[in-house]
Amino acid sequence: MFTYLLKRLGLAALVVVAVLLLLFSMLHMIPGNPAILALGTRASPEAIAEYSARMHLDKPVLTQFVYFLGNAVQGDLGQDVFSNRAVTSVIGERIGFSLALICTGMGWAVLLGVPLGCLAAVRPGSWLDRVTGVFSVGMIAVPSFLVSIWALLFFSLELHWLPAIGAGEPGDLADQLSHLVLPAFAIGLGWVGYLARMVRASMLEVMGEPYIRSARAYGLQPRRVVLGYALRVAILPTITLIGMGFGGLISSAVFAEIIFSRPGVGKMIFDAVSDRNFPIVQGGVLVATGFYILVVLLSDLLIAWLDPRVRSSL
Amino acid sequence: MTKDILLNIEGLSLDFRTNRGRVKALRDISFPVQKGRILGIVGESGSGKSTVLWSILGLLAGNAEVTAGRVDYGARDLLTLDAQALRAIRGEEISVVFQDPMTSQIPVLPYARQMSDILYRRSMSEADKRKAAIDMLRRVGIPDPDSRIDAYPHQFSGGMRQRAGIAMSMLTGPNLLLADEPTTALDVTMEAQMIGLMRGLRDDFDTTIVVVSHNLGLIAEMCDDVVVMYAGEVVETGEVHEIFHNARHPYTRALLECDPARIAEVSRKLPVIPGDIPDLTRPLPGCIFADRCQKAMPDCAKVAPPMVARGGGMARCHLLEGPLADASWPPPADVVTVGRDLGGLAPVKARSDAPPLLEVHDLNVRFRTMGPLKARLNGVSDPFVDAVLDVSLDVKPGETLALVGESGSGKTTLGRTILNLQGASGGTVRFDGRDIAGMAEGQFKPLRRDMTMMFQDPVGSLSPRKSVRALITEPLVIHGAQGRDLDTEAERLADMVRLPRSFLSRYPHELSGGQARRVGVARALALNPRLIVADEPTAGLDVSVQGEILNLMADLQAEHGLSYLIITHNLPVVRHIADRIAIMYLGRIVEDGPAAKVFARPAHPYTRALVEGVPQPDPDRRRPPTAVIEGEVPSLLRRPKGCDFAARCPLAQDACHAAKPRHTHIAPDHRHACLFPLRTPSDLTETA
Repeated sequence: MFTYLLKRLGLAALVVVAVLLLLFSMLHMIPGNPAILALGTRASPEAIAEYSARMHLDKPVLTQFVYFLGNAVQGDLGQDVFSNRAVTSVIGERIGFSLALICTGMGWAVLLGVPLGCLAAVRPGSWLDRVTGVFSVGMIAVPSFLVSIWALLFFSLELHWLPAIGAGEPGDLADQLSHLVLPAFAIGLGWVGYLARMVRASMLEVMGEPYIRSARAYGLQPRRVVLGYALRVAILPTITLIGMGFGGLISSAVFAEIIFSRPGVGKMIFDAVSDRNFPIVQGGVLVATGFYILVVLLSDLLIAWLDPRVRSSL
Repeated sequence: MTKDILLNIEGLSLDFRTNRGRVKALRDISFPVQKGRILGIVGESGSGKSTVLWSILGLLAGNAEVTAGRVDYGARDLLTLDAQALRAIRGEEISVVFQDPMTSQIPVLPYARQMSDILYRRSMSEADKRKAAIDMLRRVGIPDPDSRIDAYPHQFSGGMRQRAGIAMSMLTGPNLLLADEPTTALDVTMEAQMIGLMRGLRDDFDTTIVVVSHNLGLIAEMCDDVVVMYAGEVVETGEVHEIFHNARHPYTRALLECDPARIAEVSRKLPVIPGDIPDLTRPLPGCIFADRCQKAMPDCAKVAPPMVARGGGMARCHLLEGPLADASWPPPADVVTVGRDLGGLAPVKARSDAPPLLEVHDLNVRFRTMGPLKARLNGVSDPFVDAVLDVSLDVKPGETLALVGESGSGKTTLGRTILNLQGASGGTVRFDGRDIAGMAEGQFKPLRRDMTMMFQDPVGSLSPRKSVRALITEPLVIHGAQGRDLDTEAERLADMVRLPRSFLSRYPHELSGGQARRVGVARALALNPRLIVADEPTAGLDVSVQGEILNLMADLQAEHGLSYLIITHNLPVVRHIADRIAIMYLGRIVEDGPAAKVFARPAHPYTRALVEGVPQPDPDRRRPPTAVIEGEVPSLLRRPKGCDFAARCPLAQDACHAAKPRHTHIAPDHRHACLFPLRTPSDLTETA
């Protein structure tokens, strides 16, 4: 178990470094001098030289990368080019909005998709199964930014049920929640379909296993057989899917945050890329990558906790 | 004999709706199950024996439809009960022991939970349920049940799992226990233990048991009454001695005669029942066995046979009663009624002076058990297990060597290593004088023409998307057989393995088990090899068909001088087909020698345990429970320091636990690895 964690964390660190290296080199291929961007076009050459030296922009790219990594390890992700505030505090302000959005989006998808998949699998061929089947494909096929736009147009502009933009008044939980509904709906909808299909397929497979027949032969109630036995096994591959799904949701959240003008990390990265605000981009991507790796690790640990076979092989 | 009937099946007929039409899987099944007795349902694959079992519990597949009949349990007809009433009976009054304990127990719940779930109808506290479960686990022989009850199925060995499965089914103290092939997934020594356990439970709890099996030995050893099924019909029922000593239906008779364990004198050619099970979408109007029966008369296929009672049983055959009755039937027990193909060439005697074709010397195969990092952290200095340990053997041209062992004995690993499909970590493998162990594949490829493998799973080892023609010519294509006409070659090979040429355009899923085996043999033969390594060549085949494959292999050996290395656990078959046998235990050869000698005078106690472990298909030769060897094959991870078998050996002494016994010759061709070998024949009869 300990060895396993060590190995996984080591791998995670490697992945983060690789992602950052990729990002770093891509940013440097984009034309534009960060010093000029930071100081404005009318800055004196001395000021630019001074800034470049302070920010190590005069060093080779690889050296810059090593500096960046060294600082990142110490919790310093650099400063926002425009406001000069620490990147960590800029991200800190915004990360809550993104986390709330991603977790709510996946949360409602899980709460709806898993039971739907279960019901569909218990009665294959029933009307519920067919309706779920058609809708899942539909939901998966529509991209989340389209859902965002339609939801915005329909529920806020047409019906005036829910607010259209922003994240709500700070401190007013009800207002914040009402601002969360539409974007969370938009990014989670596809996942309802995915999860319903995944759970259905995996339930159907498990329901055909000999140990399910055993449980029925011992006279257990159908509810216990489905929820206590079949779902217990069928959920395992779904957990992996959900873990990886968070990665997809991070990118869906970027669209949703732009469309709904939510001040989250996704919108922050988007704005920073257009402004050539490289420290923010780097910091944002680092946090997103870290979050994703953490979720995947957690989902693997959850599977190990649920499946004794995996547990003993760790 | 008490006539107290617990369960009565009356005129049960059942169809499966398939896309080939309605398969009439059961037709007019009737037999009683008497209270307190053990009833065996015996039949080959496709006989519908398991379907009968599942229809008793109402747990049939979704496409099954009962078209007629009743299953009376007390005053109730189980076929008409609603779901809730059936559920009240399942597990409580009628319980089940399943075929494969590896797949029939949910892997993610501990036994404590699975067992307390079964007791959900009882108003007991959780602590009492746990106590009841622990008591039952102790009763079935799980050591240290107080802590093992919290284990998960994967933490148990195969035998322990089946014990736990029996404990689960007996937990509620059911009136009727249904056992579906309860030992098929287990090794011989485990099988004997299970038979003893189930008989003991019947005596202790006064449970009635219905056991379904294709294994005649198990039926003879365990059952009081027998029902013989063929192609969805009951052809004969009766008391076990009547069935085994005085069978009246030609099918029962043929089935018994085909069992290699019942054939006393050693014979390369085994009897077979020619033909296949009939198409059950259109069953014959007359006797269902007519087209394979040696005694069939024209009317047999047209007129339904009479049901002729005797004692408590019956048989359905025209020979016994009516206008077609034959007073000379059934013939005395020593008359063989099935076709016995004695043609073909006389078996070539392997020349003992010839240099061996295959020589294996001190071969070792080690597997890594954990990564180097984990091993270092856990302080394991040697993270390897020896799957094959110091194995030496040789195979002469034209000779058959059988490699016998239980699961985990390393016999398959050895076979794969010989064929260079698995790397060796020490020792040599010489084929025709050349050292081939660890040879690079490019260098080895030409040798693959000379030594090939017949795989264990006949259907699984064939690509489902290739026709038989493509499959049997594939080796020729791989080895670049230029200038040969593949169609001609395909026909030549099909003729060789006696597969009708029309089958060349079929696909693997359209073949029966025996036919798929033939394709496997044809593939192995395509390149005219000199050595064939056959991994369990008869696994999964019915008794009536396995003879066909073995006879074919014997004929091909006589014709082409092939050498066989047969990997198997099936001792009764080995006795007939092998020139020499090598017994493996935990990766080591514990005894090898000429087959006849090893069977008649085993030197190693493990060999004796194996030879005696096979249940005899004769109810008069039941073993006392004391003859059964205790324990299970230990894990390779915990290989004993001394003799690997010492912990289970009834004759073990202190010296056995100290060091591994070296191989000793008792004759130039007979070797064993035991400190206190069984020398005299009187040792053999001591416990029997």
